[in-house]
Parts: sequence; C-alpha cells; structure tokens
Amino acid sequence: MEQVFLKYIDDPNQHKIDTYIEHGGYQAIQKVFKEYQPTEVIDTVKASGVRGRGGAGFPAGLKWSFVPQNTGKPIYLACNGDESEPGTCKDRVIMENNPHLIIEGIMICCYAINAHHAFIYIRGEFAHPAARVEAAINEAYAKGYLGKNIFGTGFDLDIIVHTGGGAYICGEETSLLSSIEGSRGNARIRPPFPAVEGLYKCPTVINNVETLSSLPSIFNNGVEWYRSHGTEKSPGTKIFSLSGNVNKPGNYEVDLGTPLSYVINDLGGGIQNGHKLKAIIPGGSSTPLLMPDQIDTPLDYEAVAEAGSMLGSGAIIVIDERSCMVWVLMKLINFYAHESCGRCTPCREGTAWLKQLINRIENGDGQPGDIELILDVCDNIMGRTICPLGDAAVMPVRSFIQHFRDEFEYHIEHKKCKVETDYPFV
Amino acid sequence: MQGRNGLPVCVKNMSDNGKEKEQVTLTIDGKEISVDKGTTVLDAATLMGIHIPTFCWHPKLDSIGACRMCLVDVEKFPKPAVACATEAMPGMIVRTDTDEIVKARRGVLEFMLLNHPLDCPTCDKGGECDLQDNVFHYGIDKSRQAFTRRRVIDDQTTDAFDDKRIGPEIIRNMNRCVTCYKCIRFNKEIAGEYDLGAYERGNHTVIDAAPGEQIDNFYSGNVVEICPVGALTNTDWRYKIRNWKAKQTLSLCSHDADGQNIMLWHDQRQLWRATSRRNDDIDDGWICNIARYGYQYINSPDRLKTPLIKKEGKQVPASWDEAISLISKRFKEIKDSKGSVCLAGLIGGNQSVETAYLFNKFFRNKLHTNNLDYRLEYIDLKGSDETEAYNCLYRAPFTIADLEQADVVFVFGSNFIKDHPAINLRLRKAYRKFGTKVYTANPVETKSADISLDEMIYSPDTETAFIAGLIHAIIDNKYYKNIDETKAAEVKTMLAPATLDEAARLCGIEQERIVNLAKVLSEANNPYILAGDYFVASAKRHRTANGMYDLANLLGIKDSNAIILASQANSMGADRVGVRPRLTENLKKTLIDKWGEELPESPGSNTSQILNNSLDEEIDGLFILGANPAMRYPDGPFVNSALDKLDFLVVADLFETATSAKADVVLPLAGWAEQSGAYVNVEGRYQKFEKAQDADKGIKSGIEIIHSIARAMDLSLNLDNAALMHETKDIVDAFEREARDEAKFFEVKQAQIPEHDNYPYRLLVGNDIHHFGYVTEHCPSLMRFTPEPYLEISPNLAEKLGIDEETLVRIESTTGKLVLKARFSEYFEGDVLFIPNNFSATEVTGLVSREGGGWVKIEKLDDK
Ligand SMILES: Cc1cc2nc3c(=O)[nH]c(=O)nc-3n(C[C@H](O)[C@H](O)[C@H](O)COP(=O)(O)O)c2cc1C
Ligand code: SF4
Ligand code: FES
Repeated sequence: MEQVFLKYIDDPNQHKIDTYIEHGGYQAIQKVFKEYQPTEVIDTVKASGVRGRGGAGFPAGLKWSFVPQNTGKPIYLACNGDESEPGTCKDRVIMENNPHLIIEGIMICCYAINAHHAFIYIRGEFAHPAARVEAAINEAYAKGYLGKNIFGTGFDLDIIVHTGGGAYICGEETSLLSSIEGSRGNARIRPPFPAVEGLYKCPTVINNVETLSSLPSIFNNGVEWYRSHGTEKSPGTKIFSLSGNVNKPGNYEVDLGTPLSYVINDLGGGIQNGHKLKAIIPGGSSTPLLMPDQIDTPLDYEAVAEAGSMLGSGAIIVIDERSCMVWVLMKLINFYAHESCGRCTPCREGTAWLKQLINRIENGDGQPGDIELILDVCDNIMGRTICPLGDAAVMPVRSFIQHFRDEFEYHIEHKKCKVETDYPFV
Repeated sequence: MQGRNGLPVCVKNMSDNGKEKEQVTLTIDGKEISVDKGTTVLDAATLMGIHIPTFCWHPKLDSIGACRMCLVDVEKFPKPAVACATEAMPGMIVRTDTDEIVKARRGVLEFMLLNHPLDCPTCDKGGECDLQDNVFHYGIDKSRQAFTRRRVIDDQTTDAFDDKRIGPEIIRNMNRCVTCYKCIRFNKEIAGEYDLGAYERGNHTVIDAAPGEQIDNFYSGNVVEICPVGALTNTDWRYKIRNWKAKQTLSLCSHDADGQNIMLWHDQRQLWRATSRRNDDIDDGWICNIARYGYQYINSPDRLKTPLIKKEGKQVPASWDEAISLISKRFKEIKDSKGSVCLAGLIGGNQSVETAYLFNKFFRNKLHTNNLDYRLEYIDLKGSDETEAYNCLYRAPFTIADLEQADVVFVFGSNFIKDHPAINLRLRKAYRKFGTKVYTANPVETKSADISLDEMIYSPDTETAFIAGLIHAIIDNKYYKNIDETKAAEVKTMLAPATLDEAARLCGIEQERIVNLAKVLSEANNPYILAGDYFVASAKRHRTANGMYDLANLLGIKDSNAIILASQANSMGADRVGVRPRLTENLKKTLIDKWGEELPESPGSNTSQILNNSLDEEIDGLFILGANPAMRYPDGPFVNSALDKLDFLVVADLFETATSAKADVVLPLAGWAEQSGAYVNVEGRYQKFEKAQDADKGIKSGIEIIHSIARAMDLSLNLDNAALMHETKDIVDAFEREARDEAKFFEVKQAQIPEHDNYPYRLLVGNDIHHFGYVTEHCPSLMRFTPEPYLEISPNLAEKLGIDEETLVRIESTTGKLVLKARFSEYFEGDVLFIPNNFSATEVTGLVSREGGGWVKIEKLDDK
C-alpha cells in the first residue's frame, strides 16, 4: 500500500532537512506559493476530503473556511501534538521520523488561512519528539524556509514549539489554547469557536499533526490521487496504532476503509499465542468496544460508527480472552478520573465517583445495585460537560457493561474475576 | 428592583456599551419574550420571572459554563445547553422544566454534595448559600454517597473544620468549595490580581493563594461575598451572628468620594459587616476593602463618650450642658469683643451633606463669618479661595459609568486604586471590555501600569511643566481644534517653559512620549482627562489646573470629560452647599433666597488662611467638626503652633486625635452609621444613607451639636431634621456650575522648583492602600492588612543605600525626623519614598513642608 507518513520510516536521516528535500520535500509548499491563491488552497483541501485525524474527523478545509479574514486581528494556527489518548502513538512517529512533513503542512495551512504564527503543542512527556521538531524548525529557519519572506514570496511565518506539562486535557483544543496562553489547561465553552475567537481571542485553527502532515501529499500528487486512497467519505491513508494482545504491535499506515481484521491479523500477526479474541477498542481508549464478530469492519469513519463505535484517533487496542473486563475498565476509568481538568462539575465529580465505584467492584467490595448506580452516574455525565472528556470517560464504561455485564455481576457476587487467567497483569 | 439574592439593587444594562440593540424573540417554557440581541437565555428567563438555578454565573463576570447547574433544553440542540452562556436567538425554543433537565440538575447537585461536608450548622454562609438554596429547590432527598467524603488538608489547615487562612482576612475551607472559579475570575478579570489560583486537577482541584502569596489585594473582600458557599469566609464576620438574625440597612462607604453603595448588617448592639449593594452606575457591585471593613471604627472601644473640657491645662470629663454653655459663652465673647471675622469653622469631608449645610448656615447666617472650609489640602493662594479653572474642573459633570464609552483616558496625578476604587475598576472594565486606551502621568509608578499604554513618571513638582509640554506638543503639531493659528500662537506665549523641549527636559519625560499622548488625545472621539489625589495635593495645583483647562479647550474635550476628582465621601456635597469662603454667584443667590438675609461681607478664609490667621492671632475661636488637621495637613509643627495660638478651640470627633488634644472643649461625635443623611459623591450624585444603630448616650451627631451651640447662643437655626433634609436637597439640586468657557485660556507657568540640596529624596505622604483618613486605624480588619506605618521605598533605592526590608530607617527633613521600618514597594522604581499618614502614632506631616512638599534624607539605623 502507498504510504504518506511512514514511507521513509526506515531511513534514519529522514528527520533531517536535506534528506527530506531529497525525498521530494518542500516541493508542495513551493508549488502552493506559485500556483495557488489562499482560497484555492482551501478549496483544494476541501475537494480532497481530508478529515481531522485528532479524533473527531472534521473536514479540514471546511474548518479553515470558518476563519474570518476581516477582523483586523492576527490569525493563528495551533498544531495539536499532545497525543495523550491511551493507545495512540501515531503523531509521535511523525514528529520523530518526519518532522519536516509537519512543518511543510503547517506552511500550507498558514498560507491558506493567512496566519503568520503557528504553535506546535507537544505533550510534555515527548521530550525526544519535541527535540526533533525543534531541530527541524531550526533547520528550516536556517534555510530561509521559515521566518521573513519565505521563498521570496513576501510571506512571513514563525513556528513556536510549546511543550505541555503532562495533562491529557491539553489535547482538547480549547484547553490547549488556555495552556499556550499560560493559563491552567481548562476547557472553555463553545461558542465562541476557536476559529472565530481562539488563541488570545483571535481566530485560530487547531489541527492534528497527522491532519497537517497529509497536506503536502495532496498538493504533490493531486486531489484525485488522494481520493484514490480510502473511501468516498473517508479519503486518504491513516496511521493506526495497534496494541494489546497482538503478536506484532506497532504503527501501521493503511488506506482508510481497510478491514480491521487486515490490520490485526495480517499486519499485526494475529492474537498472541493463538488466544481467543474477546473485544477490540478501535479508536483510542474512549471509543466503545467492537466485538469479535465485528472484526471485518472497514476502518473508516462511517463504517466504524455504524458498527457502534468510533474511529477516533485510530488506536486499536486488542483484548483477548485472558483479560478481566472489570480490571480493564478500572484502568481506563482511573485514567479519565485522573485527567479530568476540574472545570465542570459532572466530569470532575462524576469521573472520580465512577473511579471509586469501579475500583470497589474490582477490589471485591462491590455492592448489589452498583452497576445501576454506575450507569445512572454515566447518564448524569454524558452530554452534560464542557468538553468531550466526560463523554470519553463514560463511553467505555457503558460499552463494557453492555457487553460484559456478567463479568461485573460475577465480581460483585463472588468478589473475584470471572475470567480464570494466567494473564500477568490481572 | 430586587437582585437574585432578594436584596434591592440598581441594575442598568451596560453590556451594550450605551448603544441601542436589535431585538430577538424567543420562547421559554411556552411563553414568548423579546430581548436585546446578545442577552443570554438565563437573563431572558430571569426577566420573565423564570428561575434557573446557577452557581458559577455572575452578572459581572464572563460566563464559563463550569458548574452546569443552569442546563436547559433548547429545541434542535443535540444536548442540553448552559443558559448562562447561550445567547438568545430568534425563534429559539427553550424549556427549563423537562424530565431531562430536572434529572440533569439533580445530577449536578448530587455531584456537588458528594464531597460537601454538610457542616451547615457551623458555616457562616448558612442561610445565604446557593448550595442550600439550590438543593432545597431542585435537589434530591436521598444520598447515594457511600464513600468517605474528601477532605482537603495541608500543613496549614488549622482546625477541626479544615480551615486555612489564605489572607489577612480570608479563610478558605476547601471541603465546601463547589469549584465555580468565581473567586479567581473576579480577581483576574475585575481586579487584575493574580494572588489567587486553582491548583491540582480533577476533583483534587484546590483554590489557594499563589505560592508565597496572600490574598491581600485591595478588592479581596469581594471573593468572600461572591463565593456561593462557605468556602471563603472572612474574619470580620465569621462565627459572630447568623445572617438571618442581622438587620440590614442601606448605606454608603463613608470614606472616599466614589460613593460605593453598601449594606450594613447589624443588630441593636453593633454593626457586624458591610456587603456590596450593587449600583451599576457606580460600583457594579464590587466594593473595595475600605468600604467593606471601614465601618468597624463605629464600634471601636476607643470611641469618645463624654465631652472633655480643658481645666488647668488638662482635659477632664464634663457634662454636655457644661461643655455647650462654655462654647456658647466663649464664642459670644469673641464675637462681641473681636468680631465675627475672628471665628472660623472646619468640617471633615465625610460629614453628611446635611451636617455640612447646617454648619454653613450656622457660621454664615448666625455667626456672620465666611471663615469656613472642608478641604484639608494646602492651598497656595493668597487672597483667593481657588482659581476659576480649578473650580470649573473640580465641578465638572462627570459620570463614572460613562467611562465605558471613553476611547482614551488620560490619568493625571492619581493612584486610582487608592484614591478612587470604583473609578479604578470602571477604568479596568473599560480597558478590558471596550478596549479603552489608558495613559498615565504620575510622580511614581502605580498599579495602573498594567493597563496603561504609557506610564509617564514626571520629576517631583513638575506637573505644570508636563501639562505645558503637552500643550506645546498640541500647538506645534497643530493637533488643536476650535481655534485658529493666531490664537494658538498666543496660547503658546502663555506657557512656561517656553518650548516642548525645555518642558520635557524639566519633567524628565521624552518629547516623543508627550507628543504621542497629545496625538492620541487629539485623535480620540471621546477622550477623558482625570486628575486625582497627587494632583490635588501638589502645592501649585492651581497652575496645573490652568493647563488642564487649556488642554481641554484646545482639544475640544467635553465638559464632563475633564475633571479634578474630589477626595472624600462628601467633599462634593460640602462644596455644593457652600462650605468654603467664596461662593458662586448662583449659590449666593440661592442662600440669600433661603435665608432671607444678605451674606456676611468679609472676604473669608480657607483652611490654609484660617491656620495662618490663627498663628497671627487674627482668628481666635475655631470649631473643628470631624476633621484632624494636626494629622492630615502638611507641616505638622506649623499646624500645632497655629492651634496652640487659638484662644478657644472646639473639636468634635469620634476619637481623641492630635487635633482634639489641643482643644479647650472636645465633643464626642456620632459616626455616619449612627444617623441618616446623604453624601454627594465625586460625580455630584446625591445618595442617601440610613441610620443603622443608635449612638451611645454620651454621643451626639454633628447636627445636634450645631443646634445645641446655636440654641445656647440664642441663635435658633429653626430647622427640624426633615426640614433640614429638604432644604439641603434643594440647595444641592439648585447648584449650578459655571461651564467651561471654550474660548478662554489661562497662563500655564511652572513655578520655581524648591531647593532641597541636602535632602535628595522626594517623600510622598498619603493614604495607605488599606487605610483612609484618620479613622481606619480603629478598624481591626484593615489593621490586619497594614498594622503600622512604614517607609515605602523602591528596591533599587534600598539596594543603593544598603537598606533591607524590615530594617529601621531614619528619615529626616528640614522640619522633622522619624524612624520607621522600610518596606519594599511593588511598584516604585525611582528615588521616591512614601509614608502613610493614617497612623496617629507617627507625625508624618512633620516631614512635609506646605509649599515644597516632602524632601528628605534617609539613613539606615545600625541594627542594635
Ligand atoms: C479530552 C480530549 C483530548 C484530546 N486529545 C487530542 C490529542 O491529544 N491530539 C489531537 O490531535 N486531538 C485531540 N483531541 C481533539 C481536539 O480537541 C481537536 O478536535 C483536534 O485537535 C482537531 O484537529 P483535527 O481536526 O485535525 O483532528 C482531544 C479531544 C478531547 C475532547
Ligand atoms: S472558593 Fe467559593 S468562589 Fe472560589 S471556586 Fe470555590 S465555591 Fe467558587
Ligand atoms: S451557571 Fe451556567 S454553567 Fe454554571
């Protein structure tokens, strides 16, 4: 399969500007400068159908077209490299291996929306990727690709790397903006949407690293080429981070619409030690489970949604028969309770309560009625919060109980796992 | 109108910045309503009388939609929306009563109660707590919480209730916090302070002082008031009385001139607290700490409760009858033997306007003298009360709320946060919400620097040169309006220094900055020039006022937009009812009409002249009502000898003071909360306050005192309280100011700058940020913020002189000496020093001369 992001994954010098140029890098942006008006760039990106890879799958070109051009305020781009959803490590590999691809994508976007300052927000734990991106930016400045009057076009662009302090919530776009502004990483209500009033109250576009990295290929090869990958509504390629009980976990770039089974079995080498598949988290830890009979679901936004889950960030976590689902859910809810920003009541208090309840079931202290209570607490969180973190915490809880209620009931009644297992973590 | 907490409030919709708004019609719970575009669903519902519960919403803060208590159902929205931040849209269909919404509210309340300690019996907020109220109306009666409640304890939480002191007045109990962020938002958005923050994450979030900080900012009391629960309480009120047992009385801040509206909470025995009483015209519902805690002097144990009479050089207790007949006898003697011109009166600027009026009537109409004043600044004018320009600007028809429509505000000689707490906040609001540009020129750096586009610091005593420079810049660059070149050239000849270059050099500010300010002011559509206390206290203020008058005329600045701001709660009232030697023609006429008699003809003396004349033995009898010149007027030794020279001095005050120590008769005076009356604030706004408690039996109000003296002298004033109220109001209403004459220009000449060879540092004297005048040292809460006098010094200068913080420093001028602890200033950068004049223990005025201000040398005392 043709690849965009990982094509040169085996070249140890791909992160260097000369190698990147040798492999055809910085051609797209020069072509854009020469041949396109900013609005034409937006139109082209719209036509390509490329959708946001940060989780929500929102069409990138459409997002850009919301940016008002007449406010007299500066316009900003924030590239989201916070990548904190458990299971996800696709942006990391681009930042480490192919940072110039991101820079070129940022340049194209900034030209289209008329921004002269871009921020790359990188999660605090990503010291090495951040260093790679920083080094790449310095190389680009040295070559005159960034700064004033890029390629003699009169276009100015500065890129600033901002590293986070270790909070998942800062990947959520409004919290990310608060964090760049120097405030606590708290979500803000929308409207106003960032495209209208974002960073420092100025129009701001936020796009994921992978989204922006898709752009050069669209301009190098054309919209038609791009659309020849993936499906009608979900065009292009995407990196899936495969983890869990598979033989060959890793990042795999495939066309959208590729069947899940192909990624798990053909690329990932199937389930460890021939164990039986129990469930799949298809799009990052917040997405509802897919069951073994859904393993042929095509990995595109529509098909996964139809199957009852979400493509999300593309982090596929495979769970086999050895895992106790109460334990797995406990791990997940502990994460979300820990990462709630504390801004809104349902998420702040609700996730902490869910954590207490699920932990007590796991610890053998579960009470009759706990499952109903958990589901009711979920109802009081879902759709009631400022940002989708609350929903993200609730979706797996509901899905786990829906599919594996027996395991929860067993835990409450017998004070131990239903699954008899030699799995080392349970 | 009633506020959400049931208290009466004056609400004005300023969110539209004065402009008419488009209307939108929406439906809430089946009823239609039309509201201004931009109105939230919450406000629209409130207008219809539909109550939507809230926690994190506040009418004067940006909505953050955090608590989720106000969720409503909006047709076509995928999920419930927060009413507090959802704008009303045409055709919107909102429901506040669906099953889903009822469940959502219960859910939020259950979440809030999960870890709430439910210690209502010992919580001061009980009875006025949003959590209690919301649970009462919308909650569930059954708890599903089975886990131990979270307690937030750290090494500074002190007692069984997990309380932690986070400021001189503020106690935080994190267990009770509902994490609405209102406290932090107020601090940041309104006050521009960052001493309070949220730390940690999720349900470990704590509200706490920033590391190494205390919540001691000047507006910090507001965070206690807006906390919806008992998470923030203050030492002032804590554990003293249940709020439903306290009576409420409408009142006003009795200190500065802004006229912040407050509510006094009290019972028979004492005042328990003051809270804000939102008035959008003035304070937007935010009050400064002095308005909040500055009532406490009323209940001070140090209050004077019996008259004192000086016998054989010692003041001894006496009866009221004895005191009054002595006063009457001595005043009569002086009047009969030496004439009315030998009697004089001074009244404090925070006496009610009725008291001030009666004082005026007593002196002018009964004693027949024009020697009276309410101003305690030095006025450097021989033979005149004040200049035309000064008076005109001082009485400008200014309106605080209109500042929101200013595009440029030039603050000239004021530390706003100290002098004018409400104007300060309004300016911050204008800056933050409406993009108003602020420029400042001051003798020292101030807190306003953070909103000032250019903070200019002029050398001491050069404010006239500064304004002359500004006028040069306007004329040189033809920025002027309404006059021609010939006139401009003529105005230029009336200036000294004679060129911009010289003026700029003299005041130590680069020419370009002055030119830039001139340009910005000339290009503005609605510019303001506001002069404050540094301006008022400067010895040559009348010269600078001339410049300000010319400047306003040159730029065609509106009459209401160039003002010298009055300083005290009733300065403007005293001015309007004529407590000063010279009166406007219009006021003269009004008074003659009322009194049916001509006014005395003698020219009359202002404060400065009264003191001078006392020293020269031309004034023999002086009545001082609620003022303390010995502590507040510059040049202490001079004031003391002037008072010593008097034949007969009567002082009525709440406390024994440096001035009362000199008196032949001292009368215990009632405070503002012990009587009803009115103040006229800096805008000229007449506002009433009500009596909250009875004064001690031994204490009389100023009005009673004046009446008794008059009666004893057989000079009946013939005015009962109701008539006095009416007559005073009539006079205030009839007041007409002479408008600025746009064709008139005055000379603007910088005076000789006094020599001060061996005294290299400029000393400024004034109010500490947490004190005002001479009574606040009787307010325990304010004393907790600033317990003692100090020498404020810039860290730079301190380093130069090897002075550490807290070390003792000797300060010396030609007229006096003092030893004080040094304190580093947050703002000062240069060679300027400051000492507060709010503490009776230090005679700061001894260091300051009348004409030359304060020039001192300082020296570190050996640490022994
Ligand atoms: C709790 C939460 C965490 C998120 N974390 C990330 C993240 O780590 N990286 C990311 O790109 N988007 C993340 N998002 C999505 C962003 O809010 C945003 O939608 C995205 O960056 C937009 O870029 P895209 O349109 O290119 O996908 C997160 C959203 C939520 C609600
Ligand atoms: S302390 Fe009070 S005002 Fe501050 S966040 Fe908590 S409940 Fe709100
Ligand atoms: S009042 Fe609307 S979310 Fe708190």
